[in-house]
Amino acid sequence: MLSGLTSALRHPVWRALARRAALGAFVVAAVATLTFALVHLAPGDPLAAAYDDPRITEARRDTLRAQYGLDRPLGEQYVRYIGLLARGDFGYSFSLREPVRAVLARALPNTLLLMGVALVLAFALGVAVGALQAVRRGRLADRALGALTLVLYSVPDFWLALLVMLSLAYWVPLFPVSGAVDAVMYPYMTPAERVVDRLRHLALPALTLTLVVAAGIARFQRAALAEALRADYVRTARAKGLRDGDVVRRHGLRNALLPVITLVGLAFPALLGGAVFVERVFSWPGMGWIAVNAVSMRDYPLVMASVIVGSVMVVVGSTLADALYAVADPRLRSE
Amino acid sequence: MRASPLPRPVRRPSAAVALLVLAACGGDEARDATKGSARGDVGGTVVIATPADADILLPPLVAGIQGKQVTDFLFDRLAEIGTDLNTVGDRGFEPRLARRWEWSPDSLSIAFHLDPRARWHDGNPVRAADVRFTHAVFTDPAVGAPSAPVLANIDSVTVRDSLTAVFWFKRRSAEQFFDATYQMQILPAHLLRDVKPADLKTADFGRAPVGSGPFRFVRWTPGATLEVVADTSYYRGRPKLDRVIWSVNPDFTTASTKLFAGEADIFEVLRPEQLAELAKHPELKAVDYPSLDYGFMTFNLRDGKSARPHPVLGEREVRRALTRALDRQAMVRNVFDTLGAVAIGPLTRAQATADTTIAQLTYDLEGAKRTLDSLGWRDANGDGVREKNGRPLAFTLLTPVSSRNRVRLSVLIQEQLRAAGVKVNVEQMDFAAFMERMTGRRFDAVMGAWHLDPSPAGVRQSWGTAGARGKDGSNYGSYESAAFDAHVDSAMTELDPARSKAHFRRAYETIVADAPAVWLYEPRLMAGVHTRLSLPGRRADAWWGGLAEWSVPASQRIPRDRLGLDARPLTSAR
Repeated sequence: MLSGLTSALRHPVWRALARRAALGAFVVAAVATLTFALVHLAPGDPLAAAYDDPRITEARRDTLRAQYGLDRPLGEQYVRYIGLLARGDFGYSFSLREPVRAVLARALPNTLLLMGVALVLAFALGVAVGALQAVRRGRLADRALGALTLVLYSVPDFWLALLVMLSLAYWVPLFPVSGAVDAVMYPYMTPAERVVDRLRHLALPALTLTLVVAAGIARFQRAALAEALRADYVRTARAKGLRDGDVVRRHGLRNALLPVITLVGLAFPALLGGAVFVERVFSWPGMGWIAVNAVSMRDYPLVMASVIVGSVMVVVGSTLADALYAVADPRLRSE
Repeated sequence: MRASPLPRPVRRPSAAVALLVLAACGGDEARDATKGSARGDVGGTVVIATPADADILLPPLVAGIQGKQVTDFLFDRLAEIGTDLNTVGDRGFEPRLARRWEWSPDSLSIAFHLDPRARWHDGNPVRAADVRFTHAVFTDPAVGAPSAPVLANIDSVTVRDSLTAVFWFKRRSAEQFFDATYQMQILPAHLLRDVKPADLKTADFGRAPVGSGPFRFVRWTPGATLEVVADTSYYRGRPKLDRVIWSVNPDFTTASTKLFAGEADIFEVLRPEQLAELAKHPELKAVDYPSLDYGFMTFNLRDGKSARPHPVLGEREVRRALTRALDRQAMVRNVFDTLGAVAIGPLTRAQATADTTIAQLTYDLEGAKRTLDSLGWRDANGDGVREKNGRPLAFTLLTPVSSRNRVRLSVLIQEQLRAAGVKVNVEQMDFAAFMERMTGRRFDAVMGAWHLDPSPAGVRQSWGTAGARGKDGSNYGSYESAAFDAHVDSAMTELDPARSKAHFRRAYETIVADAPAVWLYEPRLMAGVHTRLSLPGRRADAWWGGLAEWSVPASQRIPRDRLGLDARPLTSAR
């Protein structure tokens, strides 16, 4: 079994992925170090922001700075932080008054759930819309969907989130306004009711992110499929008498999906950035809004943890995209 | 298993059908009434939509208003301040944990006799030792309680017997009773005595407290929800509501939409533009309450951190002219509409020492121009900006982008002073950078705002000479006036409320005349509230002050009111 594993690891694809993983780790470390430097060099005192109270004396802030190690030289703070990271400790959030690990444990699953659902739905919807546009190229459906995707791609995430919320939670109250669960009833619901409640609360933030990302994917997919449908092999398939649907699905789309798969890697940072505004509008308790708030409060440990988590997610996303591309393209596997 | 009102799941539904199922499902509106304790006016669930979460629930370390709001539900004080917010002597204070008290003949000590019925939420009795412990925690430098400086006049707390705690004071002052009661919510010594003071900020108690107040803690999902439930064995009689839930929404629009959509019962700070929306909802009403907030533009009277006077703003007559060049009434109306008033000084109208007859520097643009001319500030080169000895009459005004009101006001100030030949460069910055510049005294002028407590004594730290020198004051503009200091000191040692108020009046007159700042606004706070709620006992320092008396008439209850006290979470709330 061990020799089998070893020979599998010698496979070019796995070697490539291992190289990517190592490079990704270096990228995360570099981003974390750069963020550490930038956030500490930014003007503003974390404790002055957290303790905006005329009763709190400067002497008290000095005591707190010493307790949190903020009075030490920057290099010493960095080494201390790396030491904590090595032990799996992200430090203590002085804006939220709890260990950063507890903040992450609570917020990260919510962000992953939102991003994961949005990613899957965005790709499904984007590919479907893009394919429809390519097949109906030049006709009314293509032009109408093209205009719609352009609008969705252009509007700010924040504005779209507010519009979705007002439309589907207030003007036509189909879904809850905000939050991840019902503030009153959730603890008293049965497990099945809780699942439904969570899905209802997930619907609008996921819809917002899905629309934003799907719009970009649709435009990309339309161009890729339109190009593929002009290829010689597609003409040959039609000439052999295959139905149009089979030509599009089995020949055109399969090849046109390859460039779209690379968008998986790009979608991760887009989703992460969009999640900030969406999480704020819908009060979705995820990493996005926590990260922004941490920056404004100069909560260094929480900022660092957010950046590290975000970097890891982006690296994983792009590595996943490469892996999917390798799976989808047999030419890469045989090289 | 409880019967569920939810529809049976459909096998492999189409997306549209699934969407409709999800949209039609769930919510407390579909739930049957559970068994509860609703009798008469007792019962009800109130959901408060709030843009901010509590920071911590350990009273000595609470720094934000949200944390104060929640801990006021969970913890009791020895006595509660009256609605007139009098802080001189003990007039108006109502018994709480202490059912009576006695002053010593020399007024240097007060003995508080605890109510023997008072219990912690874990059933243990509240004792005098808890009071002594509380004072020790609040004043321990290792704990770092924000209110520690204002407790400096309390020398010690001793235990005469299990139900009598005695406060000893270093000197007589008008606010001895206020210091002993208002600033400290009593803590359970039996639960906290084994925690090192420096470790209190990370102790579990701060996230799952045990108090002695009318409500007990249930659950807190940070950034999402916080729930408290009525303590039915509360020694003063159970509160009328069953439970109160805070729903956290960082976005202001989302928080107010929750109210309009019926998912919340209270949203505490409506903006003027939302009143029209509120009027469309007959189930909602606007409830106003006084505030202890005021906003101002403070000048740096020194040249940066040096001791030299500021080359432009260090001169009193220049500041007075700048103040008179601003139409504060128009600015407040522009930004706040009817939800604001022009500030009258470093105080608010809700404070007991407030006097609205204090002479103000009224708007007089032409008079301000004449004054600036007479001081040698003239526009010799016709560029619209006055100069004197080659120095332009210009300054930079810092404002935090986190405050929409202050950003708007800074632009209005810039425009109005331009008409007087004064150039104002508005610099907007994020809050942390703004605080660094302000506390470091590296500014010409800043848009500041303070939230006060009922005591007017805070003016010493914010505007007194002691607050201008050294690191411990918040008098960042470095205003120094022996006359102002003397009047405030006299006010604080005067035990007669009327004479104390008279001294404060003279202090306010002095500082308004010296114009170290332009007193800009006092917001008039308006909450959106469901009409079924009755909210008596609103105070300026705590609109939730009458929380034990909040009620929902039985005839007006909605489904979430019927949850009752008997409902138990099936599993962990998360």
